[in-house]
Amino acid sequence: MGRAARGAIEEFLYSLGFFVQVLRESVLLFRRRQVGFRVLVMQILFTGIEAMGITAAMALAIGAAINLIGSSLLAEFGQGKLMYTILIVVIARELGPLLTAFIVIARSGTAIATELGGMAVGHELEAYVAVGVNPISFIAAPRFIGVVVSMLVLNVYFNVFGLLGSFVVVQVLRPIAFNEYFRNLFAVLTPGDLLSGFAKSLVFGVIISVSSLYRGFAVERSVTEVPVAGIKAVGSSFMLCIFADVVMTAIQYLG
Amino acid sequence: MIPEIELRSIHFVRGGYEVLRDLSLVLSPGETLFVMGGAGSGKSVLLKTAAGIALPLEGVVLYKGRNLAEMSAQEEAAFRKASGFGFQDAALWANQSLFDNLALPARLHEPRWGKVEVERAVRRAAELVGYDQDLYARPAELSSGERKLIGLARALVLEPQLVFLDDPTSSLDEASAAKVPDIVEALKSRGCSVMISSAGSDFASRCADSIAVLTGGTLAARGSYAEAAAWDEERVHAVTGRLKARVPKEPSWMGSLEGAWVSAFAEDSTIVDAVPPTKGPQGMSSLGDIINDLTGDDEAEGDEKDGS
Repeated sequence: MGRAARGAIEEFLYSLGFFVQVLRESVLLFRRRQVGFRVLVMQILFTGIEAMGITAAMALAIGAAINLIGSSLLAEFGQGKLMYTILIVVIARELGPLLTAFIVIARSGTAIATELGGMAVGHELEAYVAVGVNPISFIAAPRFIGVVVSMLVLNVYFNVFGLLGSFVVVQVLRPIAFNEYFRNLFAVLTPGDLLSGFAKSLVFGVIISVSSLYRGFAVERSVTEVPVAGIKAVGSSFMLCIFADVVMTAIQYLG
Repeated sequence: MIPEIELRSIHFVRGGYEVLRDLSLVLSPGETLFVMGGAGSGKSVLLKTAAGIALPLEGVVLYKGRNLAEMSAQEEAAFRKASGFGFQDAALWANQSLFDNLALPARLHEPRWGKVEVERAVRRAAELVGYDQDLYARPAELSSGERKLIGLARALVLEPQLVFLDDPTSSLDEASAAKVPDIVEALKSRGCSVMISSAGSDFASRCADSIAVLTGGTLAARGSYAEAAAWDEERVHAVTGRLKARVPKEPSWMGSLEGAWVSAFAEDSTIVDAVPPTKGPQGMSSLGDIINDLTGDDEAEGDEKDGS
């Protein structure tokens, strides 16, 4: 038991050190003339651009569902006007960042962990070291920045499509002008809502990228370690994102 | 003379298993050192530790007297530029073309080079290892032997002075494997220091200046090639027993006196067959005995050998 606890603490400290190193190399990436920019562009393309379709579909559906449920429930209490507040709170503050994080975990978290695991098994990481390339600066830092930037952009994208989905339902139930719908939404939108969504997607982006990179780099020799790294990356990313979401929400409402 | 690479009291642990134990070894400038040993003896780990790719748990690795672990970024970059590492399984970057695999070291360490210089260096390295196919293919399109050749070329693209080759002849076809000793000879003629892990006795017989034998993660023996041929301790002999003793080449002045015959002798007879285990007190014969066999001074023993 004592040994297990000591092992867990050691791993936590090691992953913390890894995180600090990734953070430092990410800052330095823009000052170096290394070839990491290509990796950064490819990561944004894969994590951000290519995920736009599924994000839009999911956001439209969620926005429509919230409106359908909310308008029937609120009408019973004569609080139909609260619909706009609920849409902003649920989509911009909660579901937007969280569901975007789930999409990114499912697509990019697994991809990063298994790709790095494969590189470790094939000694490609050692080959980078041998020619003088720091794998953290060349491989980890661009992926870290790429995932964080993509998370931020996808979150905004999710919010826009979520509110559009809701608008489509509104047109069916109680047609309203496009301008009026968005004017009502912006009337209840506060800087706190925007800040909350931004902070959550930033933190989730950091969690997903660092967890996936860490699990990928932890692969040592065997090919069988690679899928395990993918599973662990997904599991730990989900858990940490939900935990961080609860903590940030608690700080927001109880603080 | 400051050693090119020096390992001092290296302990290397992986997965709770001690791969290298209290290992000290020196590679002198211009020396070609073969690290030999059975499977799992720690040859690859030793080479990676010496090249600063794998970090030991204890001990230091010195490059020209400077501790690798304490080098500044500039010093480390200079070390990486001056050294090349050929991996046992090629370790090419799968998501890059062969050209980019070969060009990365050049782009990294020679930032002033333009496209022309980089391409020249890449093509020269590919030519050196005898690869004349499409350089814009991906590693997955190649056979394992071709990948290995490209891995070797990547190690040599910047013409390093210090080269590590991890089992460079394994997984190569016969024709490609035959090129590797020529490449090593070319490196030697350029004065490079070379550390090679190999189980191939023929390869070592042709190229080694010195031999180090690893057994169970410890250094069992280290000496010149001539000394290695005479090692008789059982665990070392099991590794070096197939090494071929060399007949010293005739001095150059003899060549001028004796003409073509001496030249032919030197060409054909630099390596003789392995020492038969029945000879000598520990199943080994001395280098002198072998020379006698060749020169016919002891006909009886020579006949016995022929008949065996």
